[in-house]
Amino acid sequence: MNVHDTLFWFFSIAMLLCGVFVIANRNPVASAMALVLMFLFMAGLFVLLEAFFIAAIQVLVYAGAVMVLFLFVIMLLDIKASERRRFAFLGVFGGIVVAGAFVWEMRIILSQPVIPLQSGNTDLSAGLENVVKPLFQHYMLPFEVTALLLLVAMVGVVLLSKKDLK
Amino acid sequence: MNLYATQLECLLVILGLGTLLTDAFRPGGDRRKLGYLLATLVTITLLYSFTLAPTADTFFHGMYRLDSFALFFKRLFLLATAFVLLMGAEFVERFETGVAEFYALVLLAATGMLVIASVNDFILLFVALELVTITFYILTAFLRRQVQSLEAGTKYLILGALSSGFTVYGIAYIFGTTGTTNFDKLATLLSAGGSGSAFLLGMLLVLTGLGFKVASVPFQIWAPDVYQGAPTPVTAFLAVGSKAAGFALLLRVMLAGLLPVSAVWMPVLLVLAAATLGYGNLGAISQRNIKRLLGYSSIGHAGYMLMGLAAGNALGSQAVLFYLGQYAFTNLCAFLVIIAVGREEIADYAGLGKRSPILGAALFLAMASLAGIPPLSGFFGKFQLFAAVIEAAQTNWHYYILAGIGAGAVVVSLYYYFNVGRAIYIEEAKDTTPIPVSLPVRAGLYVCMLAMIGLGIYQQPLVEAATLAAGIFGLK
Repeated sequence: MNVHDTLFWFFSIAMLLCGVFVIANRNPVASAMALVLMFLFMAGLFVLLEAFFIAAIQVLVYAGAVMVLFLFVIMLLDIKASERRRFAFLGVFGGIVVAGAFVWEMRIILSQPVIPLQSGNTDLSAGLENVVKPLFQHYMLPFEVTALLLLVAMVGVVLLSKKDLK
Repeated sequence: MNLYATQLECLLVILGLGTLLTDAFRPGGDRRKLGYLLATLVTITLLYSFTLAPTADTFFHGMYRLDSFALFFKRLFLLATAFVLLMGAEFVERFETGVAEFYALVLLAATGMLVIASVNDFILLFVALELVTITFYILTAFLRRQVQSLEAGTKYLILGALSSGFTVYGIAYIFGTTGTTNFDKLATLLSAGGSGSAFLLGMLLVLTGLGFKVASVPFQIWAPDVYQGAPTPVTAFLAVGSKAAGFALLLRVMLAGLLPVSAVWMPVLLVLAAATLGYGNLGAISQRNIKRLLGYSSIGHAGYMLMGLAAGNALGSQAVLFYLGQYAFTNLCAFLVIIAVGREEIADYAGLGKRSPILGAALFLAMASLAGIPPLSGFFGKFQLFAAVIEAAQTNWHYYILAGIGAGAVVVSLYYYFNVGRAIYIEEAKDTTPIPVSLPVRAGLYVCMLAMIGLGIYQQPLVEAATLAAGIFGLK
């Protein structure tokens, strides 16, 4: 196993562990911190793919800006650690059965040889140009629809959270 | 050229953004009139859409199509939007705030649906789907003083986010194994070489996300709660617009992009259709709330339409389109009556035929059409779907089982639809005050009733449009 593979497994496993911490922690601040770590490890995966720009954006936007917002909200609302709850055994059991069936199914499917029909030819390493040009040329329509999507989300937040109903 | 192709979407966006600004420029204006105005403008857009000619070209680097299939669905969505705006105008007193924003959100959701009708690429598919779904989360929770509405919104948000996650995960697998997200390129690649197992996993995950949109078993759990809790105009939009959008995507993805691997997904859809038929129709039997009943019924109808898709022949896909067209009129009619009456328990509909003959007749016709009683349009729609399944059964006997389950579902559905019919005409009313019906609602009801009866007797125009639209897939 070379360095590349070792790092890949390290980042992936660390990401999964952090993901589990996010939902298993009762303290919301600790959950948010685990999420930051997860984003950092994900940035590591992008570095391994030589997508340096996306890795940097991942750290700046997700681990930086988005998570700071999360923490602000948690602290402003003063969310307390959630109470210890009794497990609904039927729910846990059902969840395990469904998840197990899914993993089993995936194992069968992925144990067959995976033949890429055509390898991806996008070279992410060339830098900013290869991210920006497709975004504003090839993918212009989805980009515009995303703008509408953000507008809708903003209107929705204002509508659903404003204090006085006139 | 690109702008020309998306002109209908552009018109709706301009309308929507303009509506958002009304509160700034005309605070305290008559919101009911605004609703009527917008409904009229959307109707004009609908009429204008008939001047557009379908083209085989693709736009935006092969992402967007304006073929007869896309135009068929765009017209269907515009029709639904006009009716939902009319319903919103009738619902004005029951909103506490943000009526103009309600109209704007409806228009922006409609924009997303129009894009969905033309989608030819997984990236655009996902973004447009999210535009529609996220708008619906907000619309569902719009009556935020009512616990039911909030609960419905939260449920829809959580389950919807999960299903979106499945969809993206699936798209990632598809892109990872084929290196493309374009449906045309995908079809070429798939018919040239075999498909890897990871690709098939991706396809099934995408199917999961789309199954959620059309409320097919096992992704249907949200439908009854959300239908009951959401404001009634939103429920109507979910039942007519959102469901049709889901089917537009299912048809486009499965028949345009993934047709070469139909041997894999057809059996899956066969089982899903049978399970959906059973769940929706059996669940509806014990319902006392009419919106919840229509929620279960919408699951059942998703089952009928999946039957047509699972059949995988030309008649099947054409029948799905016809069914969606007539289902829109039938459901809009039922929801218009529910809004005019303003009550949701089936017991409240006792003696409706005496209290308001037009509402009684409209609801009765809608129920009869949903049940598939000739000569109404629902009968002909079901007839075509069953014919398609029988045709498929000539080569694969499993389809006979599906047809049998479908026939059983029709029989079961007669019971609960006529339960409503019995309340309208046979049961005595406790409260005998007549119900006033406004002129626009009256007009809407006449249009729907005319369509239900007209399309039942003279099916030619819609059948021709559906055949033309389904023809782009080149099925036999």
